[in-house]
Amino acid sequence: MTASSNFLIPNATLIVEIVAFLIVLGFLAKYVLPVLNKTLEERQEQIGSALEAAETARSEAAEASHQRQETLDEARRQAREIVASANKAAERINAQAEERGRLEYDRLVARADAEIAGARQRAVDEVSSKVGALVISVARQVIGREIDEASHRGLIDEAVAALRGSVGTSSNGTSN
Amino acid sequence: MTSVVHFLAADINVGTHVQRHGLDLDTIWSTLAAMVIVMAMGLYLRAKATKGVPGKLQLAWEMGVQAVQTQVQGTIGPSGAAVVPLAVALFVFILVANWFSVLGIGSEIEWIGPPTSDINVTLALAFIVIIPVHIASIRNRGVVGYVKHYVSQPFPKALFLVNIFINGVEEIAKPLTLALRLFGNLLSGGLMLALIAALGVWTIAHVPIGDVATLALNPVWKIFDLAIGAIQAFIFALLTILYFDTAMSEAH
Repeated sequence: MTASSNFLIPNATLIVEIVAFLIVLGFLAKYVLPVLNKTLEERQEQIGSALEAAETARSEAAEASHQRQETLDEARRQAREIVASANKAAERINAQAEERGRLEYDRLVARADAEIAGARQRAVDEVSSKVGALVISVARQVIGREIDEASHRGLIDEAVAALRGSVGTSSNGTSN
Repeated sequence: MTSVVHFLAADINVGTHVQRHGLDLDTIWSTLAAMVIVMAMGLYLRAKATKGVPGKLQLAWEMGVQAVQTQVQGTIGPSGAAVVPLAVALFVFILVANWFSVLGIGSEIEWIGPPTSDINVTLALAFIVIIPVHIASIRNRGVVGYVKHYVSQPFPKALFLVNIFINGVEEIAKPLTLALRLFGNLLSGGLMLALIAALGVWTIAHVPIGDVATLALNPVWKIFDLAIGAIQAFIFALLTILYFDTAMSEAH
């Protein structure tokens, strides 16, 4: 049986519908929404803790990076120091070696000078010891008679001294 | 009263129901179908709800619940938490019921039509909203405050008769508009389907132009019906929250 009374006038179906919706409402409110709310809250907590963990990890990473930078800076500073001190040591060693070299040079030069002076002295002494006899023999041959060595010794010595004096002044003049 | 529209030689009757003992049986069974769907979704969610990555259904429900919670928090405040289940249940139930319009074929009595195109359903929902609204108002203001609320505003007390009239009309209009808005939208949706179906008899020189028009327009209108159904469900739930807000937050 179908009937079309005024569709704006409610009938007993109204009561059935109220009961029906109250059942749906009760079911959702009692069994579904609490579960849904719980999962929502749990997920929010989860997300919150995940974000917190991410934040911690980020700050830890930043800290580690900071430390690495510091370590790196420290290492660079030390390297610079080491290079600087090495340079300084090298300079010092250089200077020492130079100094030693100069001293050695001076010593060698001084010894050479001394040797030269000694040799000259020895040569002069040798020459002066022989020059007297040579002069007498030359004079004897020139004059043709015996020269009394004893009577003329004073004269000869005078000449030798004069010769030695001239050699001494000339050697003094050239030694420097 | 029978509504008959003469259109293209077809009789279109609106608001006809399968009636036994004063009950609209077609409305009741489609209501039962909507109940089963809503509660089955609820059971499924209850079983599958996870705090991990939610499925699509769970996500949709969570978004709905959160939208309602945000709305309630923003208007009523923390004391309105009890309204949330009602608004959620209203939205979901009305949405499912409205979307039955997709199953309609435009016949006089749909086998499974939107139950919300029956005034009994929408009026029942309106009562379920408006009675707790008044209870909340009395609990919030006290009986004296509740009565004074209708007598002493918006005009001065000397005009209390006018105040009673204005407020009375407003309070009666609230459930009526709530019910009629939803009912009217869904009824007219069914009427449009009937009109589109009636186009089927239209022929020009034995060429069945009307059948083509019916086939083309029916899905278009049903897509439109989906949007209307969602919007009406949303409006119903939103107005429910706003009525509770008016009842619970005007104490000062």
